[in-house]
Amino acid sequence: MSAVIQDTAEQGKTLVSLRNLNKHYGDFAAVDNISLDIKDGEFLTFLGSSGSGKSTTLSMLAGFETPSSGEIQVNGQSLVNVPPHKRDIGMVFQRYSLFPHLSVRDNIGFPLDIRKQASAERERRVEAMLKLVQLEQFAHRRPSQLSGGQQQRVAIARALVYEPRILLMDEPLGALDKKLREDLQDELRQLHRRLGITIVYVTHDQEEAMRLSQRIAIFSHGKIVGLGTGYDLYQNPPNAFVASFLGNSNFLKLKAQGNAVAMFEGQPLSIRLTSSLHTDQDVLLMVRPEKALALSMKQAASEPLPAGWNEVAAKVTEVLFLGESLTCSVVTAGGTAMTVKALSAGGMPLSAGDQVKVRWAASDACVYTQWAESDLNKAAGAH
Amino acid sequence: MLLTPNAMSRRMRFGLYTTTGLIALFLLLPIVFIVLLSFGSSQWLVFPPPGWTLKWYGQFFSNADWMDAAYASLKVAILTTIFAVALGLPTAFALVRGRFRGREMLYGLFTLPMIVPLVIIAVAVYALFLKLGYTGTMFSFVVSHVIVALPFTIISIINSLKLFDQSIEDAAVICGASRLQAIFKVTFPGIRPGMVAGGLFAFLVSWDEVVLSVMMASPTLQTLPVKMWTTLRQDLTPVIAVASTLLIGLSVLVMVIAAALRRRNEVSA
Repeated sequence: MSAVIQDTAEQGKTLVSLRNLNKHYGDFAAVDNISLDIKDGEFLTFLGSSGSGKSTTLSMLAGFETPSSGEIQVNGQSLVNVPPHKRDIGMVFQRYSLFPHLSVRDNIGFPLDIRKQASAERERRVEAMLKLVQLEQFAHRRPSQLSGGQQQRVAIARALVYEPRILLMDEPLGALDKKLREDLQDELRQLHRRLGITIVYVTHDQEEAMRLSQRIAIFSHGKIVGLGTGYDLYQNPPNAFVASFLGNSNFLKLKAQGNAVAMFEGQPLSIRLTSSLHTDQDVLLMVRPEKALALSMKQAASEPLPAGWNEVAAKVTEVLFLGESLTCSVVTAGGTAMTVKALSAGGMPLSAGDQVKVRWAASDACVYTQWAESDLNKAAGAH
Repeated sequence: MLLTPNAMSRRMRFGLYTTTGLIALFLLLPIVFIVLLSFGSSQWLVFPPPGWTLKWYGQFFSNADWMDAAYASLKVAILTTIFAVALGLPTAFALVRGRFRGREMLYGLFTLPMIVPLVIIAVAVYALFLKLGYTGTMFSFVVSHVIVALPFTIISIINSLKLFDQSIEDAAVICGASRLQAIFKVTFPGIRPGMVAGGLFAFLVSWDEVVLSVMMASPTLQTLPVKMWTTLRQDLTPVIAVASTLLIGLSVLVMVIAAALRRRNEVSA
């Protein structure tokens, strides 16, 4: 095992570097001028809907697709002309892709057999891998005699046995049911922590991306539109698309009045200090539902508005109980719909038709000056 | 389903069993007749045979002409099998994996020998080999048989190649195998049922082929069906029934092997 387990790799050093990477199919740009640095030992997830370019980018990293232009480097060495079998990259596929005619042991041993590894060393490494993925007692079985979760663990062992620098995973848990998926996500996170290997993971499931990765790259139309930790991308989305794609959001359309004030339905609201706004410029305000509060008129009268907070009058259209949380949908006098979310333990004694005051801290609301109308409805997941 | 055995009335079930049995009998009867006749003692192929004998088998195995023909048949069929699979494999890969213009047309072209009347192919191949002076050679037999066997082999291999998940081959490549290594070590074992079935089809097509073979045959080189055909035109000896029985016997054997292999594959898959 000692050969497999390494100290957590030094963070921060760039291992993989994508430079102006393009992949065109005729007129269609599947990957559109992507540049990205992947750090050594990092768990990075490509998140996006199907056709966003995330899988094509992964395929180019693996070497199954050739870039139309651009550069892929590992440790400063170009990979573009290196065939996939010489890249020393591990990969786990969505449909497991085990060799059906080989036993679990021989599936895991395959990369070592190809490398003409001496048999004693082969046995030692295969045993270590079987132990790592806890499949020792299934070593003699054929893949078809294993459950989906076990098959994927074999695929992971097969991808790790030759100690590649980089492990690519293409929606590896997509075919499994939710409970098993969460178990394997936990295993995968622990595996990454123990081995210190660099993992590039592709998924369309934002919760999975949040749960697993240190950084997330959000793909849309062949471009990376957001890159950062799950926390940063969620709390401070770089643009309206990311805000809308990750989690739920309220969008308010405002007209700027200087750098820190904007008019909303005839009422001035304070916004984060945003440089070079000019008067009457359209700005978009984004407030996460759980950052906003909905107060009954009585509560609002007894609790003065804290400094730096905004308050908007609205009418409740619906209150939904969702177990651990409650959501309250409201509509303002000007017809803007908003959602407020609170933990159900905190309570929200409101019902449809009530007049309410919606409050939020100006510092919690993001300000965008450029957006497309289509960005505002991209929710990838449910509540 | 309405027509599962349990849902059917007893009378209906009886009716179905009877018709199925009659159809099977109708199909099997000529074979049963010929096998029985090969053991019959009558020189004139009288049915029912007045007695039983192995005399005709003795005549068959002691006659150099018949044995040469049987040996030639076996040799042609084996060579046809080898060449049909060797040519069918790369063709199937090109037709399934290739991304080029005219792929569909090429598929049509390769399966054309299944649709074109055999006698037309026979005349064409005969004319060609006559001009080249190749008639009556092992080469001409094998080439003409491969032409008609290839569509079966290609279709059989294409079917298993389409079912084979290419990401399994990609997995072998990313594990360090070159594309060719991956195809040999992973894809071929994966599509083996189609390769074996395609080979057996080719064998059977060649084994009982008569139209092309009659054209290719020479007094010194002929296959078993050709020898039967020419013998039949001269006299009606029960040795022909022996040859037929041996032809059928080997065909049945090949089909049993194919079925056994298929079953083993299903169990292990």
